[in-house]
Amino acid sequence: MITEFGHFLLALSLSISLIQFLIPAIGVKINSINMMKTSSLSAYLSFIFVLISFLALLWAYITSDFSVSLVAKNSHSLKPLIYKISGLWGNHEGSLLLWILILTFYSATIAYLGKRLPLKLVSLVLSIQGLIAVAFISFILFTSNPFIRVFYPNIEGEGFNPILQDFGLAIHPPFLYLGYVGLSVSFSFSIAALLIGRVDTLWVKWVRPWTLIAWIFLTIGIALGSWWAYRELGWGGWWFWDPVENASFMPWLATTALLHSSIVAEKRDTLKAWTILLAIVAFSFSLLGTFIVRSGVLISVHSFAADPSRGLYILLLLFLFTGGALFLFAKKSPDLKSGSLFQPISREGALIINNIIFSSAAATVLVGTLYPLFIDALSNSKVSVGPPYFEAVFIPLMVPAILICAFSPMLSWKRAVISNLYERIIGIFILSILITSILVFLYDGSPTAFLGLFLGFWLMLGTIYEIAFKIGIGKKLEIMLSRSINLPRSAYGMSLAHLGVAVFIIGVTVSSAWREDIEKSISLGDEIFIKNYKLIFSSYDKIQGPNWVADKATFFIFKNKIKIDSLYPERRFFPASQVTTSEPAIMSNVFSDLYVVLGEKNTENNYYSIRVYYSPLLNWIWFGIILMVLGGIFSISDRKHRLGYTSFKKLVK
Amino acid sequence: MYKCLLIFLVLFSSISAISKEKNDSLVAKELFEELRCLVCQNQSISESDAPLAKDLKLIIIEQLNEGKTKTEVKSFLVNKYGEFILFKPTFSLKNIFLWMSPIIFLIFGIFLTYRFYYFSSVNIQNSEKLTAFEKRKLKSILNKDVK
Amino acid sequence: MKKLYYYIPFICFCFLLVFFLKQLFEEQSPSELPSVLLNKKLPLIELEKLEGYHFMSYENLIFNDKPFLINVWSSWCGPCKIEHDNLMKLSKTYKVPIFGINYKDEIENAKNFIENYGNPFSIIGVDRKGKEVINLGVYGIPETFIIDSSGFIKYRHVGPILEYDMLNVILPILKNLEE
Repeated sequence: MITEFGHFLLALSLSISLIQFLIPAIGVKINSINMMKTSSLSAYLSFIFVLISFLALLWAYITSDFSVSLVAKNSHSLKPLIYKISGLWGNHEGSLLLWILILTFYSATIAYLGKRLPLKLVSLVLSIQGLIAVAFISFILFTSNPFIRVFYPNIEGEGFNPILQDFGLAIHPPFLYLGYVGLSVSFSFSIAALLIGRVDTLWVKWVRPWTLIAWIFLTIGIALGSWWAYRELGWGGWWFWDPVENASFMPWLATTALLHSSIVAEKRDTLKAWTILLAIVAFSFSLLGTFIVRSGVLISVHSFAADPSRGLYILLLLFLFTGGALFLFAKKSPDLKSGSLFQPISREGALIINNIIFSSAAATVLVGTLYPLFIDALSNSKVSVGPPYFEAVFIPLMVPAILICAFSPMLSWKRAVISNLYERIIGIFILSILITSILVFLYDGSPTAFLGLFLGFWLMLGTIYEIAFKIGIGKKLEIMLSRSINLPRSAYGMSLAHLGVAVFIIGVTVSSAWREDIEKSISLGDEIFIKNYKLIFSSYDKIQGPNWVADKATFFIFKNKIKIDSLYPERRFFPASQVTTSEPAIMSNVFSDLYVVLGEKNTENNYYSIRVYYSPLLNWIWFGIILMVLGGIFSISDRKHRLGYTSFKKLVK
Repeated sequence: MYKCLLIFLVLFSSISAISKEKNDSLVAKELFEELRCLVCQNQSISESDAPLAKDLKLIIIEQLNEGKTKTEVKSFLVNKYGEFILFKPTFSLKNIFLWMSPIIFLIFGIFLTYRFYYFSSVNIQNSEKLTAFEKRKLKSILNKDVK
Repeated sequence: MKKLYYYIPFICFCFLLVFFLKQLFEEQSPSELPSVLLNKKLPLIELEKLEGYHFMSYENLIFNDKPFLINVWSSWCGPCKIEHDNLMKLSKTYKVPIFGINYKDEIENAKNFIENYGNPFSIIGVDRKGKEVINLGVYGIPETFIIDSSGFIKYRHVGPILEYDMLNVILPILKNLEE
């Protein structure tokens, strides 16, 4: 009954979304304020209905209602509650419902916060959001309905993929979707601006918080996925340039470029067409990602069950939204008037270089990901484009971006005189080279390690210097304090984010260049020596979990003859799906990770195959990303982002 | 400025010279990571537990021990399984668009940027010239002030 | 002219869409590999004899007077059991010579398999370690190759030969080769 209610409400929300799309759009055309005002009510209602619909499906999962086909296929009564819940979005149909929930949530939020924005603009934005909702809700209702019943339900569900039962993996889709769908807001604002025919600095100010929010969530979502892969997949790797990973990375790159180009758009009222294009492209990458995961066109470990008919529908959506948007862009953006000029060597100029590089990077990742498809279509032969290609191509592309990023916050707007900065830049350069050389010499590094470390320190020192200079380090304490307090949060945001990138680069460089690994067959009591650790394989047990049985090994870890920890890698077997997974055991601290994987047991001689990895500074990868996210959060909490969304009185207080 | 670049280059190249010497097992490991497992196609043969992956590893080690180079081993496998097995696409004419794409995009980006600077400066120059009407108006305003 | 630049993203997108459409309607799954050895001579493979069954050396094999099949199989392989009936039909009813290569198997199990389910193979070779069939580009058994009378590989089928495959692919190709 509850399921049917949920189904009904979803259908109802389709109608409301249709109204949300049509009425405000017509209202804008004929200039009817009343029609335009209906947009917020539609948005609120649409969200409430989808929310209840979502909760109805959630109820079916929580109560393990196997008469609902989706629950029967994807759940199991023995699953822990949290995984029953996350199982809702661990499949094609449910994840789409989550997508729509987030979309309508964003629409409702725009309706609520956008009360002080020009009515015409908000109406159009909500209208486009409504159209997107119509497209996706009909996709769900007509091809991927999660509420379908099974008339002769089984007593038990068909289980689940045991790999999906992990906390990191469970929460990674919601964050990722908050990012993907958040980009729809920038998209809708862009379409609205094109339709109105005007993009001004106020428009940029209003869109920016939404872009930042989407960026923050996208960063978190991608990081969670990587973190999960690192902890669970047993190879110490965290990024594989897999098509679906790339499908999330491309919008991230485009959004990063968008955040930087919108700074120029706001400051100088120029680069507007480009900014709009980026917003369209970023959201299109989201849609493209949806297509890749669900159509089965590319091989990926992440793919949902491939279904070409669904692929066709999504392609239609892509054509409608991306094609339509790009066509509108081509027609209308030449009419956008440009603002003031700036010199190529200036803060704006540096931001343009950032955009060139990040856009080229996104385009390159796109080409690399789709290349197997092109070759197959053109010559019916198969090629692979894997990590070696992407690393060979992406890293060199990023080098100039990092080089410039270190000192570009020191550049002045409009026209920068570099000779003023020479001393500082050279100082930072020499210091970075020195530190890098010492480290590479002490620890015996390769040229690539040198490059990576240099870039990381260069960016770190440049960023720290710049913010220290702004605060006035070396001056009187009162000056420093007052400057620190008055410095806008977005300045801190920028520095934190750039610092995060530096930490990330150092983490990646060190953990890959100085990684040590051992792969051996050992028996009980054997010792393994890696770096300055000694591991003793002390025991081996059989244990049982809620839906698995496992072999658990116990390793004692010694450093300098003192036992510092024990690690318990496992090898789990899930009888319901006949799958064996390996649960690595990791000993983490700020400076390194010790990672132990239990492999197969050789039944003949009772030897177990073991892999041990030592990855120095691996957690700096996550620290760096956390800093980036913090930077984003600081930026978005800046007062200026509330401009236009709150009443003037509140701000003045 | 150039001194710094020089220092950088010297340090960089000297480090390359001191680089570790490669031995067989290292080459084997590199190969394992560069080849796709054909059974578990999302993994390299290094990562894959599939029986075929194990067999391929053995064959690779055998061939390296026989003295074959990395390139020779790779071309043997490509002969049998096609370029699909290589994670790094070959530098052939077929793949030229793939390898050149980052440079193409960069050049295109630089070209667009150049156009942007050029045209906006032209626009500003044009708009900086006063029209005849504006000139007269300016004159009248200035004359008013003088009075 | 300047305005045309703005259409570039749209045009690129249209190209992309066309490719996707084509690929969606592509019948072959992206994970299936076409053999790179098509129209090349059968590579030299060294196999062992299976005691009690006919064997043929490589040199004799490639000068066979009519086209034949090579089927890579194993007693532990599920899909091999599935296609077994069709192999028997090909061999007994359609009189197609099939050279079986027993892959990574125990001798006893291989013999039991053929004795219990029937022997569709006119000749059998054994690849105990599974190394030799790598020369054929085998990546997942069962695999079946069609070899013409000059010893050239004309077709490779991955997976079990189902009735549909037998009637609509294998037999027509064989017929074509005989003409």
